[in-house]
Amino acid sequence: MRVCAARPRSRWLPAIAFGVACSSHAAASTGNEPFSWLQRATGSARTVNYSGTFVHTNGDRISTFRITHLNVNGEEHERIEPLDGPPHEIVRKNDEMYCHFPDARTVRLDTRITARYFPAILRSTPEAIAASYDVKLGKVERILGLDCQWIRLQPKDKLRFEQRVCAEGTTGLVVRAKTLNDQKQVIEQYTFTELRLGAQAGKPADERSKFERRVKQWRTDKQPREEARTGDTGWAVMSVPAGFQKVTELRRSLPGRSQPVSQIVLSDGLANVSVFVEPNGPPSRTDEASSEDGTTTLFSRPMGDHLVTVLGEVPLATAQQVGRSVARRP
Amino acid sequence: MKQDISSLMDGECDPREADRIIKACCTSEEHKDTWNVYHAIGEAIRGQSTAAITRPERVMAAVAKEPTVIGGPRRNLLETTIGRVALAAAASVATIGVVSWIGTQGGAPAVSAPVVATSKGTAASAIQTVGATKSVPVAAPDLQEYLSAHRQVPSADAYRPVANATPAR
Repeated sequence: MRVCAARPRSRWLPAIAFGVACSSHAAASTGNEPFSWLQRATGSARTVNYSGTFVHTNGDRISTFRITHLNVNGEEHERIEPLDGPPHEIVRKNDEMYCHFPDARTVRLDTRITARYFPAILRSTPEAIAASYDVKLGKVERILGLDCQWIRLQPKDKLRFEQRVCAEGTTGLVVRAKTLNDQKQVIEQYTFTELRLGAQAGKPADERSKFERRVKQWRTDKQPREEARTGDTGWAVMSVPAGFQKVTELRRSLPGRSQPVSQIVLSDGLANVSVFVEPNGPPSRTDEASSEDGTTTLFSRPMGDHLVTVLGEVPLATAQQVGRSVARRP
Repeated sequence: MKQDISSLMDGECDPREADRIIKACCTSEEHKDTWNVYHAIGEAIRGQSTAAITRPERVMAAVAKEPTVIGGPRRNLLETTIGRVALAAAASVATIGVVSWIGTQGGAPAVSAPVVATSKGTAASAIQTVGATKSVPVAAPDLQEYLSAHRQVPSADAYRPVANATPAR
């Protein structure tokens, strides 16, 4: 730290020295057990009661959400309210998801939806995540007034991005998360800006939609629309990247397309990749195309009379491997 | 080493890394110089006394050497101290939001269908030799629908209603 003494006017130096001291102490007291921290972080988003506001930054886009998550008698209740764009709310009870659109005055549901929001971004088991990522502990940092432990998930290969999640010390809840590219640049971030834990999170009525009160009568209908049925699409990814598994496969109609689109979803427990196959044109595309923005990578390629499009939170090379290996199921 | 010092200052290093960087920093006049310049930049950004910048030409040179914004589609400008300087210094940065989708076109490598192996180990090693093709701007075709489908964004168009949302009164 002699260099530090050379520039006593800098405001950085005490902070660095303090950080080093704190981190060393914390590493010793926790016994340096990265995997057990990952276990806590993975389970806490389901079991802990919390409510607050979080900000998601991906590429140039920033969005803000309010979330309430309560575990009542072993059942998960969650309400998410995007605070940007047209107002709507997503209310989840275990695997059932309801979406409230106040403008359209409709309430919609699809039980096949497996989407989970921050802080439930560790979608798989700690064992599955540790199969593709080296788990290491980072520094201890004070965030939102809470002592939090950074966990580094460093990819074992170049097929996926590095992830860093910061788990609150008492509950293990992920309060901040970053995704880094191979240049160690942060390309996506989630962070709570306000958080209440445990009994402070709210009471059971808080996870119910405020729009729900306007609904007089409920009609149960859990069938997905005919156009979006899960099933065999006839297509397969022949070269699934190491660590990834097929999560689902379905055919769905998309606005602006006259024919259904096949979608295959792969996941490694952290990153998802969607493969879309549809008739090529008109006008038909003749060249491969790709783009990268934040963590979102697109790769598109013509394949005979069809067009293959891959979208996922993976490096471009991974999307290319997936897209170029799509073929008719044998 | 410059990247290391920058990471240290941005609080991105774990204790072991920080210790190594600080030690390495002490051993070289050049690294000490980098350290001082980066601090001077930080102080200038925060509007602190610029009297501390004894060698402004070094600071400006360091700023000029930072990667051009347009050349790095994934670079998060706000992430580093130097990035913030670049943000303030370069008027052209304002266009970065427009060029959000950068693409490759006609740049397919000679290796088509690179990996047909089903073994996980083979697939992992093969992809590293494939690499990614380089980027040129291309129009993004109908991406929003794909993005919504990929992220499972609930959409009024995509799912059937499950309740008659009759107003309670």
